[in-house]
Amino acid sequence: MSAERGSAAEVVRVENLAKDFRVGLRARRQRVLEGISFSVRDREIFGFVGPNGAGKTTTLKILMGLIFASAGHATIVGHDVRETEFRRHVGFLPENPYFYDYLTGREILQFYGRLCGLSSARANERVKTLLDWVGLAHAADLRLRTYSKGMLQRIGLAQALVHDPRVVFLDEPMSGLDPIGRKEIRDLILRLREEGKTVFMNTHILTDVEMLCDRVAIIVKGQIRYEGTTDQFLEAGKRETDIVFSSLPPEMASRLEERGAELRGVLGRLEIRVAEKDVTDVLREALAAGAEVVSVAPHRASLESIFLSAVGKAQQRGDSR
Amino acid sequence: MRSVVRIMTLALNTVREAVRNRILYTLVFFAILLIGTGVLLSTLSYVERERILEDVGLAAIRLFGAAIAIFVGIGLIHNEVDRRTIYTILSKPLSRTEFLLGKYFGLLATLWLQLIIMSGAFAVCSLLTNAPLTSAHAAAFVLIGMELALLVSLATLFSAFTTPMLASLFTVGLYLIGHLTRNLQDLGQRSEVAAVRELTIILHRVLPDLESFNLTTHAVHSLAVAASDVWFPLIYGVGYCVLVLCLASVIVERRDFR
Ligand SMILES: Nc1ncnc2c1ncn2[C@@H]1O[C@H](COP(=O)(O)OP(=O)(O)O)[C@@H](O)[C@H]1O
Ligand SMILES: [Mg+2]
Repeated sequence: MSAERGSAAEVVRVENLAKDFRVGLRARRQRVLEGISFSVRDREIFGFVGPNGAGKTTTLKILMGLIFASAGHATIVGHDVRETEFRRHVGFLPENPYFYDYLTGREILQFYGRLCGLSSARANERVKTLLDWVGLAHAADLRLRTYSKGMLQRIGLAQALVHDPRVVFLDEPMSGLDPIGRKEIRDLILRLREEGKTVFMNTHILTDVEMLCDRVAIIVKGQIRYEGTTDQFLEAGKRETDIVFSSLPPEMASRLEERGAELRGVLGRLEIRVAEKDVTDVLREALAAGAEVVSVAPHRASLESIFLSAVGKAQQRGDSR
Repeated sequence: MRSVVRIMTLALNTVREAVRNRILYTLVFFAILLIGTGVLLSTLSYVERERILEDVGLAAIRLFGAAIAIFVGIGLIHNEVDRRTIYTILSKPLSRTEFLLGKYFGLLATLWLQLIIMSGAFAVCSLLTNAPLTSAHAAAFVLIGMELALLVSLATLFSAFTTPMLASLFTVGLYLIGHLTRNLQDLGQRSEVAAVRELTIILHRVLPDLESFNLTTHAVHSLAVAASDVWFPLIYGVGYCVLVLCLASVIVERRDFR
């Protein structure tokens, strides 16, 4: 281990985690995590990114002490994750969180505050601040049963912060929300960083990574494929664009092919795929040559292939890690 | 000390859940209805009317108490995992055992509250019909409370590792056998086969002897209750509960909550 990895600025440190689940009637072992290592630095927004089923939630459950690793070791603020006392520095918002829905927003926050060892006066004070902070003061005395998805997500965030922890873990915090709800949560996460908290966030949405994360680790099929800054990752994983022509002069087509674009005939039309940065040039040239354009659309590659190509390119450039 | 505050917080919230959950009210309502039926029945008959009242009333209290203990207890831990409410709770600075104890004492407090309400109803009916109320009644109610504590611990234990379906089978099974082990042992002693005699003795020793918490006959017949008839079962019951909860604690500390 290098000296850098053991530095005090590391808030979370994960080494060689593995997890086997027993599945089916025969309790067959299935390895869902293998050799997971990464670290989260103080006061950053860290994205734990990967397609659905990659193992993000499983890793987070190990960090939260809900399940136990089959191998490896993980620490948060220097404590083994199997301990409990240090969790007063830790906040957690699970994926699609569920809370006691017979309680009101105020009651549930008071309940969590008391569990964290706050005196009832201090808990009341924190609850008031947090209800304002997440914009739920107006619904404080309604039962959670009546809350919308977005309101539950915000009460979940408040619950994670009730004891003013140093590091907050969020599992897909924007999933299932409408655009307004997503923006609200995004703004709150950015404010957390301003307040000096470290944020660990699971997500499979690249836009969220782009807008929020300082650094990322990419997990695909239970293995870490990349760890580094978001800028480097997105640079390497630049998206491509599909342009569909209804007619394209043959000499133009061959010129594009020489430049390395893929050409495909689709229903009497011609579709080419070019890098996003080349779109304007290609269009200008093609239109000048008399081509007729039907559509220009971003290429929706599967998340996994974006992750993999990003990882591949980053590794080719030799700057992963 | 901190630990006690956390367990209290969880327990109080469990009571609050029960209070806001109407099903418990209906059960108490039915128990009181049954006690009332006992009163009605006793007015129809001229002989031994108090005994009928007391038999029906005490049986209703014991049965409904046990029913609530079992059918809330079997989901006590499992439902928290199933509904994923346990995730945020365990991410706070508390141990899994504290969580278990919080849930346990919460349900127990709820049951004792209900027992007090039902005993109150019983006492009122007794006074209205001039049936005797003796210290044997108080002793009987205390031991019913102990039996409930033991039942809840068993249900909690099963709910810590299996589904409510299986947990209810196990708990109801133990409840029935627990009331029969004495009789089984007596029967077994008459057997010619040594192995059968041994087995029934072992069963009686290992399984909870729930009949030891039954003082209803003393109460109904206004028999004198010796102090040891209360203290021994209490010590036995508390010891048994502690053992069962330790086992449950070992299980929750080790299992994955996924
Ligand atoms: N309780 C479980 N039992 C068995 N397999 C599971 C369980 N939970 C998750 N898995 C499997 O583990 C893998 C990772 O799941 P998960 O961590 O939830 O992925 P993510 O959060 O990245 O979408 C998946 O293949 C999933 O099927
Ligand atoms: Mg997930």
